[in-house]
Amino acid sequence: MAAQVALRRQQAQEESEARDLRLLYPCTGIGGEAGIPQGSSISAGVPVSVSSSPAAACFDVFGSENQKDDKRFYRERKSFLCIDGSRMIPFEQVNDDYCDCEDGSDEPGTSACPRGRFYCTNLGFRPHYIPSSRVNDGICDCCDASDEYNSHARCQNTCWNLGQRERAYVEGQMRTLDEGLRLKQQLIEEGVLLWREKQAQLRELQQVAEDLQVKLEEHRRKKHEADRLKEQTLKALEAGDGGLIRHQNSSVASIFHLLDSNKDGSLTVDEIKAKVVLVHDEQRVLSEDEALALLDRGHRMDLSKFQSTLWDVLTRGDTVKIKDTQGAPGSLSSEDPHLKAADRAAEWEATNLKKVEEAYETVNMEIRYTYTLCPFNQVTQKSTAGVEVSLGMWGMWTGKPKNHYSQMVYENGEPCWQGGSRSTTVTLTCGTETALRSVKEPSKCQYIMDFQTPVACQPVLKQQGIHSEL
Amino acid sequence: MAPLLVLGLALCLSGTWAVDKGNFKTCEQSAFCKRQRALKPGESPYRALLETMELTNTRLTLQLINDNNKVRLLLELYRLQGNITRVKINELKPLKPRYEVPDVLIREPTTEPLSVLSQDENGVVLSLGVESQRVIISARPFRLDIMEGSDVLMSLNSRGLLAFEHLRMQKVEDGMWEETFKSHTDSKPNGPSAVSLDFSLPGVEHVYGIPEHADTLRLKTTDNGDPYRLYNLDVFQYELYNPMALYGSVPVMVAHSAQRTTGIFWLNAAETWVDISSNTTVFGKMLDYVQGSSETPQTDVRWISESGIIDIFIMLGPTPKDVFSQYASLTGTQSFPPLASLGYHQCRWNYNDQEDVKSVDAGFDEHDIPYDFIWLDIEHTDGKRYFTWDPHKFATPKEMLQGLMDKKRKMVAIVDPHIKVDGNYKIHNEIRSRGFYVKNKDGGDYEGWCWPGSASYPDFTRADMRAWWASMFAYDQYEGTMENLYTWNDMNEPSVFNGPEVTMHKDATHGAWEHRDIHNLYGLYVQMATAEGLIQRSGGVERPFVLTRAFFAGSQRLGAVWTGDNAAEWGHLKISIPMCLSMGLVGISFCGADIGGFFKSPSTELLVRWYQAGAYQPFYRAHAHVDTPRREPWLFGPENTALIREAVRQRYTLLPYWYQLFYRAHVTGEPVMRPLWVEYPQDLATFALEDEYLIGRDLLVHPVVEEGARGVTAYLPGKDEVWFDVHTFQKHNGAQNLYIPVTMSSIPVFQRGGSIIPRKLRVRRSSTCMEHDPYTLYVALNLQRTADGELYIDDGHTFNYEKKEFIYRKLTFANKVLSSVNLAPDAKFTTDSWIERIIVLGASKPSKVTLKTADGQEKQLEFDFDASMSVLTVRKPGMNAGADWTMTFQ
Repeated sequence: MAAQVALRRQQAQEESEARDLRLLYPCTGIGGEAGIPQGSSISAGVPVSVSSSPAAACFDVFGSENQKDDKRFYRERKSFLCIDGSRMIPFEQVNDDYCDCEDGSDEPGTSACPRGRFYCTNLGFRPHYIPSSRVNDGICDCCDASDEYNSHARCQNTCWNLGQRERAYVEGQMRTLDEGLRLKQQLIEEGVLLWREKQAQLRELQQVAEDLQVKLEEHRRKKHEADRLKEQTLKALEAGDGGLIRHQNSSVASIFHLLDSNKDGSLTVDEIKAKVVLVHDEQRVLSEDEALALLDRGHRMDLSKFQSTLWDVLTRGDTVKIKDTQGAPGSLSSEDPHLKAADRAAEWEATNLKKVEEAYETVNMEIRYTYTLCPFNQVTQKSTAGVEVSLGMWGMWTGKPKNHYSQMVYENGEPCWQGGSRSTTVTLTCGTETALRSVKEPSKCQYIMDFQTPVACQPVLKQQGIHSEL
Repeated sequence: MAPLLVLGLALCLSGTWAVDKGNFKTCEQSAFCKRQRALKPGESPYRALLETMELTNTRLTLQLINDNNKVRLLLELYRLQGNITRVKINELKPLKPRYEVPDVLIREPTTEPLSVLSQDENGVVLSLGVESQRVIISARPFRLDIMEGSDVLMSLNSRGLLAFEHLRMQKVEDGMWEETFKSHTDSKPNGPSAVSLDFSLPGVEHVYGIPEHADTLRLKTTDNGDPYRLYNLDVFQYELYNPMALYGSVPVMVAHSAQRTTGIFWLNAAETWVDISSNTTVFGKMLDYVQGSSETPQTDVRWISESGIIDIFIMLGPTPKDVFSQYASLTGTQSFPPLASLGYHQCRWNYNDQEDVKSVDAGFDEHDIPYDFIWLDIEHTDGKRYFTWDPHKFATPKEMLQGLMDKKRKMVAIVDPHIKVDGNYKIHNEIRSRGFYVKNKDGGDYEGWCWPGSASYPDFTRADMRAWWASMFAYDQYEGTMENLYTWNDMNEPSVFNGPEVTMHKDATHGAWEHRDIHNLYGLYVQMATAEGLIQRSGGVERPFVLTRAFFAGSQRLGAVWTGDNAAEWGHLKISIPMCLSMGLVGISFCGADIGGFFKSPSTELLVRWYQAGAYQPFYRAHAHVDTPRREPWLFGPENTALIREAVRQRYTLLPYWYQLFYRAHVTGEPVMRPLWVEYPQDLATFALEDEYLIGRDLLVHPVVEEGARGVTAYLPGKDEVWFDVHTFQKHNGAQNLYIPVTMSSIPVFQRGGSIIPRKLRVRRSSTCMEHDPYTLYVALNLQRTADGELYIDDGHTFNYEKKEFIYRKLTFANKVLSSVNLAPDAKFTTDSWIERIIVLGASKPSKVTLKTADGQEKQLEFDFDASMSVLTVRKPGMNAGADWTMTFQ
């Protein structure tokens, strides 16, 4: 709160200073000569622009930001007060390539002042300030070439091209942003739906659980009943159990006969293979050895042996069972032309796949590491040799206060041999896809990742001011 | 960079940051040093055979005999132009030739006539031609005394420690024919071959030089420890304040007293140890007429080398600057660097890829910090194959270089001398097929372990090898290079990770010679071949820039040197001053330490202080180990960015001064960065100062090198001098200790009253961007209200200055007139630069200031006068910097 008050006070002060300055230097409206003082060593090559603003016959001083408030400081008159108010100088000494003002305000168009700024108008592109030290240093800094008016550099005006490119870029960015925001919204909506769905599921499951509880009670009750009945039956069996065994025998015999395909009264390996399959893999024919095992390592098995061995296995039903006799898959003709074509196609695809895999391997050898980010979990680096190293476990959000969720840190990864441990800083940027865009290791064991995701899209990104006019 | 393998090991064993001394020999562990050091003074077996003396006009020869073994030596004595005496001692008839160091002297020195003044059976007295200087040769035992009037300037073998191990056939004592250190055996096929000689310096208490050591500027006595060692080694995490060998060697010692400055140049490239003692022995057999007493201070020095011959140059001064020019007349002067290389250099092991380079470059613009060079360490290559680029990280190097060129900036890429043994590597195949590799003792190509793994080492001692290497820098050979790419030679001691003491086996061979003989020269040759390559690729037009880690006497002719792999510690910041001062005294002016420290990570305070100190040292480069966090100047918050920016800007404003000092160094051999005693040779208070120094004659710098410093005490020399704080213009009297309170932004620097220093105040992105900028002249008046200075201008990067294409002007202020006169009327150059401003410190207020130009025109100039500080600022005089003019202050 105190800080805000202070800030407001400062703003008020600046506004009042600006008012004072305007009062101090009312626009004279007397023209004639341009803003560059006569006789100055640089006046020759300096482009001077006359303001097209209808407000005044004021002339713009080269290198200052004419469009805005700076205009008030450079109105031609007999003397010039440094903007910091430290000193009054004759107006001819403005932009005369000698620094008179401590704050550099007398030389907005030359390199004379150490702390000065030069204003690139950059029509067609974004205007901006450069340090005065970049004026006439032989390097083109302003796209309108205005900073190299007296140097050996041959600068072209590239503002329009830059502007075009910038506009296209910004448009692209805006599209990305729109799309990203849409995707983000979608993700949010999906998230909400999913949440609701899960909530509903939860409620359902709770209902089911309740029902089950009821059923469980019911079953308990029934079991109790059954136990009681069983006890009774056992008592009855003790009286005469032969009937049950007989019943069983007939069932054993019928199964035996089912398996005994040639009806010779004994089971062979081939007969077993024909009729018995694995519970978990019905399609596969048993191997010789597996069948032999089922025959208890004998090549033939009669009914009595069957009853004491294989019968038990079959009735337990957890490993092998008797094959369904109807519609054996073997009946599908392998001569079917459609099938053949499908086979060939599959083979072709397999070959293609192999090629792609090989290519991938080659590329993979070039890319020496594969980086994986599991948000809120960890970051890993895997070498082509398959060695995986932790580059950090989820730590915290470390974005700036304005955009707290724009950066995350993963720390306490694998230790480094110089001490300390690996850590990764992940910067989230807006994009239409969720992907890792780049990984860098500027210092040993300190990684930087650029993570693109629609989740990071913020509706605040706005096009920065570019001159749309020329 | 030092080997990683050793780093791992050191960490495992000790966990501390310090050199593993066990990897390097002590004198005790070095057989020849141990043998030589065991000799007792006063028992010299050498006798001069006066009857063998022969004197031609300029050359005296004389045989010496060792009475113990009857082996004869041949002594040669020359008087050289410029007050230098050369003494050479070799075996009269060696079994095979002994190594004499080539390529270090710039030419065969010019001799001057010698004459015999008197002779009897005890000795000979020779006249040295000037100022009653004489050499007395005593016969029994052999001894040389150099006299001036009744003063002994220097005595040789006065303690009888001359030793010359003659080459012999049979194997004798242990350690003389084979020697083992750690797991390495040196086969020593030539047996013992050491040479040694002692020097006495009466009246001398201060000796300096013999870099490279991480030690005080003033050398210490070595009685209670090891001698100073000169043996180029890649020392991992070197320790401060000890005599251990480091990456380079210049076997030159400078002795100074209030009366005289002298120097000894021991021209020997083998492993060398230097013992220093002070008044430890009674002054031997002083000659009768010498007024010596035991109270006379005296320093005794003794040099021991493993092989070669004794070849010494005694530089007799008498002033410090005489010694510099004497030494320069032998080994040459500092190369004249391209102006841009005096700017700021941004280095790191490593900038990872082109994008990284681009973003660091952009960072400097964003934060408005100038820089001239960005550097690439070993990772830029394709698998440590020098002369190549990593195909993924640096796929389009020319694009990258063009991007830098568009901003008038430059790049340095590393090229080390170890060559990856790889049949698919062009450089390796060429060197191997041409037989250019150093050979192992069995005659095969020598192989060692370095950055690329198994590596071989080109024999840079061969001129044909160097010519071939130079040709590899041609733009069509070294692909992806452009004229703004320069070179860095690291690891050229040479560093061999698995070699004895991390260097090459001494029994490896370079043609007829053993590595033992040439070791300390290897690094110089690498830089020589590289610099030649950079010159040749431009058709001889452009000045090269090559940084080297290893060096020897003469390396000053080839480029810049840095103090190797230091650490981010306050002690390392502090010692960068004496280390660079020591190099400057022996000719190598272009010296610097890694800003911030190579190993470890500096605190922000240390980093800022280092940027501030480095801004006032000749070679200004930040560098960091690959395992340290990034430390570009803007990574430590806006306040620290501003402090670093300001330090770098101060550097750039002073570039005209630095540049003309390097021109002076190139012409005269005077150091750019120099101890105070060089300019105040009689002021005893300056003799051991190493926390402050002078840049040229006129700027005194006392950087802040203590953590949490609140103030520094600077000694301002000269009782007739005044000094002006360059930041506040406050005037201080000389001959006082001045306490200066400091804040984090303080860099205490003073301009001497009586000097004129040109600056360029429009600091831009790079030095090249400032080429046509105007000058501001800082005229600091002395008590006599006079001042003078110089202004040197040329194109900043070509050899055209050798064709007299430069401006060299003398600026003088006297009798209220400031004038610029041409110091080189036969030179021609034009500049766009003009004089923007004149600031007179210690001025009185004139009523008017009038400028008179060569065409006779006069104009009145505007000025400002600050009465509180007595500072007069003349506004925009506007004359061209190359013109004649006078300015009158009435």
